[in-house]
Formats: sequence, structure tokens, C-alpha cells
Amino acid sequence: MKKEADLSIDFCGVRFENPFCLSSSPVGNHAEMCARAYDAGWGGIVFKTLGLEKSFKVIMPSPRLSIFNNFDKRFVGLQNAEQITDRPILDNIKDIKWLKKNYPKKVLISSIMGYVDEDWSDLAKMSQDAGADLLELNFSCPQMAHKTAGHRTGQDFHAVASFTEVVKKACTIPVIAKMTPNITDMIPVALAAKEGGADAISAINTIRAITDIDINNFTPLPNIRGHSSPTGFSGPSVKPIAMRFVSELYNSKPLNLPISAIGGIETWIDALHFLLLGATNLQVSTGIMRYGYRIVEDMIEGLQDYMMERNIQSLDEIIGKAARKIVDPSEFNTRFQVVSVVDETKCIGCGQCYISCMDGANQAMEFNKETRKVFVNEERCVGCLLCKHVCPVWDCISYKEVDTNEMKHAAIF
Amino acid sequence: MKKAIEPDNIFQFKCMREPLTLQDAIRESNRCLLCFDAPCSNGCPAGTNPGRFIRQIKFYNYKGAARTIRQNNILGSICAFVCPVEKLCEKECSVKALEDPINISGLQRFATEYGKQFNLEPLPKSTKKKGKIAIIGCGPAGMGCASKLAKLDYDVTIFERETKAGGVPLWNIPEFRLPEFALTYDVDNLLSQGVDIRYDTFIGSVEAVKTMLSDGFQAIFISTGLSEAFKLDMYTGYNNALNYISFLRKVKFYRSSFDLKNKNIAVIGGGSVAIDSAVSAKACGANKVYLLSLEQMEELPADVEEIHLARTMNIIFKAGCQITTVIAKEKTITGLTGTEVEWIENGKFSPSNARRIEGTAFSINVDLVVQAIGTKPGLEIAKFSKDLKTKGKGIIEVTEFFETSIAGVFAGGDVTNGGMTVVQAVREGKKAAASIDTFLKNGGHKS
Repeated sequence: MKKEADLSIDFCGVRFENPFCLSSSPVGNHAEMCARAYDAGWGGIVFKTLGLEKSFKVIMPSPRLSIFNNFDKRFVGLQNAEQITDRPILDNIKDIKWLKKNYPKKVLISSIMGYVDEDWSDLAKMSQDAGADLLELNFSCPQMAHKTAGHRTGQDFHAVASFTEVVKKACTIPVIAKMTPNITDMIPVALAAKEGGADAISAINTIRAITDIDINNFTPLPNIRGHSSPTGFSGPSVKPIAMRFVSELYNSKPLNLPISAIGGIETWIDALHFLLLGATNLQVSTGIMRYGYRIVEDMIEGLQDYMMERNIQSLDEIIGKAARKIVDPSEFNTRFQVVSVVDETKCIGCGQCYISCMDGANQAMEFNKETRKVFVNEERCVGCLLCKHVCPVWDCISYKEVDTNEMKHAAIF
Repeated sequence: MKKAIEPDNIFQFKCMREPLTLQDAIRESNRCLLCFDAPCSNGCPAGTNPGRFIRQIKFYNYKGAARTIRQNNILGSICAFVCPVEKLCEKECSVKALEDPINISGLQRFATEYGKQFNLEPLPKSTKKKGKIAIIGCGPAGMGCASKLAKLDYDVTIFERETKAGGVPLWNIPEFRLPEFALTYDVDNLLSQGVDIRYDTFIGSVEAVKTMLSDGFQAIFISTGLSEAFKLDMYTGYNNALNYISFLRKVKFYRSSFDLKNKNIAVIGGGSVAIDSAVSAKACGANKVYLLSLEQMEELPADVEEIHLARTMNIIFKAGCQITTVIAKEKTITGLTGTEVEWIENGKFSPSNARRIEGTAFSINVDLVVQAIGTKPGLEIAKFSKDLKTKGKGIIEVTEFFETSIAGVFAGGDVTNGGMTVVQAVREGKKAAASIDTFLKNGGHKS
């Protein structure tokens, strides 16, 4: 039998069979969906954010999605104007109970959003009583049709601290505070949540964005009866920004809380990136909206093989490994410079590197029109590697290091 | 990403491939590497510049792409359908090193049709301030020359003996390969440049050409093409043996009075026109269609694409064979007998080099024989005078600048090259136009 690496994690004292969870969104709308996600292999789910209809009646706008495309690559990002759940609270509580009864070993995180203290404490209690293992406080939905909820709360340190405190008093299960990225520095907000008693931080919620505009009627998309709004943007496009925030949370010494990472995860490599930047738990929505629950199979298998190949016994061994290599640019070692190296046997002669170097870098590439091969003028090459990045043959261009102290070539990478 | 051949379309004499949709065009153009030196562009004889128009499509500049094609190649729409791209632009495509080359003809068709659909502005009219030029024959070479001269502000008149413009693409290329709208679009573009086409006008002698020179035309371009098909003696005198030129013309323009239902057809030949004839016969409802060629399968002059087309249409290939006897009832052929052959000397594709293989005799019942074995100039100018130097068989001899032996008279296209592609004819027409411009700048034939 195939030996499998152990993907289990401990997050705020709760054991997950693997770190992969649904994030609070339409992918976890109700029990039937969550059950299928558990069956597919997800370690946990964050149930779609609960609210109290007595405080605010949610009506979903429609259409509410728009995509961001890069030429023929569609869906590199997704914009949504989705609200929190529009189902009655009792239906959702019933679903949570049913899920915990039928999937006792899987983790269920209840996401909640209130408008006043009482909402927060009621939702926390109801979730705990229904059997939720953890709570996630939604301080970050960027498109709530309610003026004092969502990311507006998440930008207000005092509100974050006090609502967290209310929840902590109302329940005993661990509490995760979900951060908005629509802020310059996330650390003060995360610290406010910690001050209120939060046990963990999840980040990032979606980024306020405009993905598209109909150039015939001048209306941004999604076009909701002639109007639109900068609403939550997610998917592969936001992953670089999410990785930055996660690494900052991890590297913050005063914070020192476990992190559940969210933002553009679709593959085991995306997942690994976030683990290496300090996340313990991982959440996915857009990837599922695009490809379905099944993607978790490849995340599990891919990450297990990665661990087996490197003899990694537990994810704890790698969490945060890359975050430690993040420094301020002032600390870079600039003694070593690199120059590009072209593998002539792989070059197909398209000259994209030449064009990019000519118009976007340092005019260090030479193009031989006869042989249709490129040549690096090492005197001019500044080692930016733009050429490598535009080359259609991914392993054609590499680089070698030059020690500026010795001015001689060192090992080839 | 080429669209599949649709046999249903062929049976309805509609273009055999559906056009690329906007989505297809976006995806296909994004496979392009946007090479620095665009080898595809270097691979186009007519200088259509696919490297540029594919980039324009990628960056959503569809009308710009249509402009590029039209400015560089007045037959840009026709070429999108008839070019043997796998021997030209697509052969040079850098993507081939990684995957299938870009479907350049598909993108060219997309751009030209987009331009038409969205009312691309007409080409600028010639100011006609530079002098009068006559062109004889309104086929690809003549049109290519006329467009370039009009762009250079000459006053151009084309004399065409038929009642329609187009030449070979019009008369000899079936609609399933080249839909009528493509040809109409290119001719309309030429007309918008202010080029005058005189139909039903036959210039049939060198004397007439010389008269034109003294009547105010400062230069003449002869592009009369090849209008007479080769025929084999063994089929002469029968009422059901046609050559491909008259066969294809009949299929294209007199289909309704031309019934091939349940008939067996034998096409003699192995080139593009043989395939077009065979597929046309099938499209007309023929039962069995044989393609009989001296060449072996792998030696057929037809393109891989054309052979694929014939196979799709269930044409029966009888390659490497020779017809020995015609079986006839009075003046009507009822069957053919033949044997398989091998070459006496390898690589010499001529009937005299074929040796019959014993014991391979076969016979087939046929109701019609179509000879598709090549063309030669017809009742053309060159036959009438010794002043105009020829290479024999009516092929006009020209210099690299497309000058004939008569000063001020230029020639290009099939009548000088012996029969090549449409895109080659456009190239020669354009080059001749540049030579004519230089000739006139240097004082013309009167100096």
C-alpha cells in the first residue's frame, strides 16, 4: 500500500485531517453542499456567514459576479457582490447540527456577522450550541448592503476589539477574526482582534475592485440594473497580495497567532506557498467556484507527495519557512549580480526576449536574423531576468552569478 | 486550431470550413509568440504581413488587422481561403517548435470578414495624377498590380475579356473552397481605389497592345494567365470527356443543368485542380469518383490538406496507375482500363518514364472523364508576334523586373511563371507595379 504523508494540523486546539477548508461563500451555502465537500476530502468547512434576519434582511443583488480576464486567459480573478446568507438563521443552525452529527470528525467553522453586540453574542451561542468547532468573525465582507457592517467594521480597530470581546464572552470555542485587505496595514487590526481575545486570524477577505466595464453603455460590471460598485475581488489575481499580508501577519512578533490563509488557492503549490509563509490552515472558494470540490484531491495528493519526497513528517516542519527569508530591501546583498544565459539548443528564435530587453530593459540581447538565435551581451546585461520571464520556452533562459568583488563568474544556477 | 472540413457544406456548395468565431480568433491569436522577425511575414510571397495582423487581432485591433491585410494584399480575402499556408506562412511559424502552428489563414479570414461586417472604410481613391496604365487580364496578378499602381496614384484601366473580374479564383476554384463573397469583397476593394475595369474586352494581339501604348497608356501589364487545359489524345472525340477548366466552370455556373447523380466519374491527375474536380463531382451527387494519377500516393502534387479533403469526401484514389484503353459505345466513353505503373527512373514524373506492371490490369465503369493535368496559355497575345519573346508554349519571358522584350510592356502571373499560386501572382503583380513606377519615373518608353 502507498504510504501517505500526514497532512493533519492542529489549529487553535482543533484537529483537522488536512488543512484544506471551504471559505465562507456560496461554496458552503447549505448542508447538502458542505456534505459533498466533506465527501470530496475537504478537512473542514467555513459555513456561509450567518446573520440575524431580525437585524437586517439580506437581499442578494443580481447579476452579482464579474470576471477579470487577461487576453484568452479567462477568470484570472472574480468579482462578487454576494452578501452573507439570505437563509433564515434557524435553517442554517439546523444544517450545522446535521453536518456535525453526520460528519463528527470533520471540522465545521461557523462564520458570523452581527450589527450590534447582541447579534454577535446570539450568533456565537447558537453556533456553539449547534456544534460548531470554531467561530470566524466576518469583519471584512467588502460589499455588505449595510452601512456599518463588513469591511467597515474591519477598518475600525475599536469595533474589532469590542465585538471580538463580546463573542469571546458568549462562547468557549476558539474564535478566528477574518481580516479585510482593504487597509494599508493589517497588523493593527489583527492586534485589536487579539486584544479582544481572538485565537487566530484569517486573511484575506476579498479586495474591493472593478473588474470590467461595458464600453457600449459605460457601466462597470456586474451591471446591476445600470449601476455597479467596487466589490470583492478574489481568485489567482489576488494571491500575490494575500501572500504579502499572510507573511506580514506571521512575521509580526506582537501578534503571534495562528493564521488561516485565504486568497487564490487552486493547487497544492498555492497551498504550499501559504504554508511556507506561515499559514496553518487554508481556505478556498474561488477555486471551487471555478473547478468544483474535486480540486482538493490534487491538493492532498500533491502535498503528500511533496512531503514524502522530502521526508517531511508533519506540516509543522515547513510552516513559515519562507516567511523567515523576507527582509527589508535595504538588507539585500547586492555584491552578487547575475547575467542571463540562453540555452541555444532550446531557443526557438522568436525574439520575444530581444523585444522586451530592447524596449523594457537594458538592450543587452542581440538577435541574429540569419540564425534566429539570441545572444546575451554580458557587458550590458543587468540581470533583471525579464528575458527569462517572457521566454515561451520555460527552461531556455537561466542565469549565472557574478561576484562584483571578484568580477568573475561563479556557479551557474 | 483549424476548423474541421464539413462535408454537408460541400454538398451545399458552401465554404467547407466554418469561420473562426470571435472567441476562436482571440484564443488562436493568443497562441502567437509575436516574434521579433515574424518569419510568417517573411514566408508570405505577397507581403500580407501576418505577423502584424495577428498581433493586431491579439490586441483587439480587429479593424487594424483588416486594414493591414487589404493594404498589403488586394486579394487578402481570397488568399485566406486558397493559400497553401502549410507551404508558406504557417511553414515558417515559430510555434511549430512547440505545438501546431498558428492557423494564419483562419485569422486572415476572420479579420477580413470582420472588416466587411463592421464597414471598414473604403481604400483611398487614386488621385490619378501620375499617368495612365493598362492591365490586360483581371485575375490575381492583374489585380495585385492594379491595386499597387492605384496606391501610387496612377490612373489604371484593366481590360478583361470575361464579364466578371477574378480570373482563376472566379472560374476554376469551387465555392466550397472559395465562397463568392470573398472574391466580391476583394474586387470591391479594388474598385474603391478608382481602378476602372472594362469587361468583355479582348486584347488579342501584340499590335493591339502597341496601339494602346501609342494611344496614351504609358505602360502595359499583361496578366492573361493560362486559359487552355492540356488534353490527352486518347480522350479526344468523345462527348463525355471534359477538361477541368470547362468542368469546374460548368459545376460552378451551370450546376442546375448538369446532372451527375449516380454517375461514376474518373478524374485524371493528382494535383490541386484534380482534387477540386473530384470533390466537385462528388458534391454534384456523383456515385463513385476515381482520382487516377501516374504519381504514387506520396508523390501527389496536391497538398496534404487537399488529400485530406478528398478522403473526407470518399474520393477513390488510384495512384500510380496509367489508363491504357478507353472503352466506348460510339462517341460515349463507358469505361476505362489501366494498369499499375512504376517509374523507370526515380523522381522523373512523366508518362514516358512509367513502366506498366504486369498482372495489375483493372477496369472501371465511368460516365464522365475529367482531365486535370495542367494548363497552358490560350489564344494569348504572345502567339501573335515575334516581338514578344516567349519561353515557348506561349509563356511570356520576363526579366526579374517583369519587363517583356517590348519597352513599356510588362507581364506577370501564370502567363510568365507557367502556373503557380494566387499569392505568387499577387506578388508578381505588386513587384511589376513597382517596376512600372520606376520605369515611368525614369522617363518611360518614349525617352
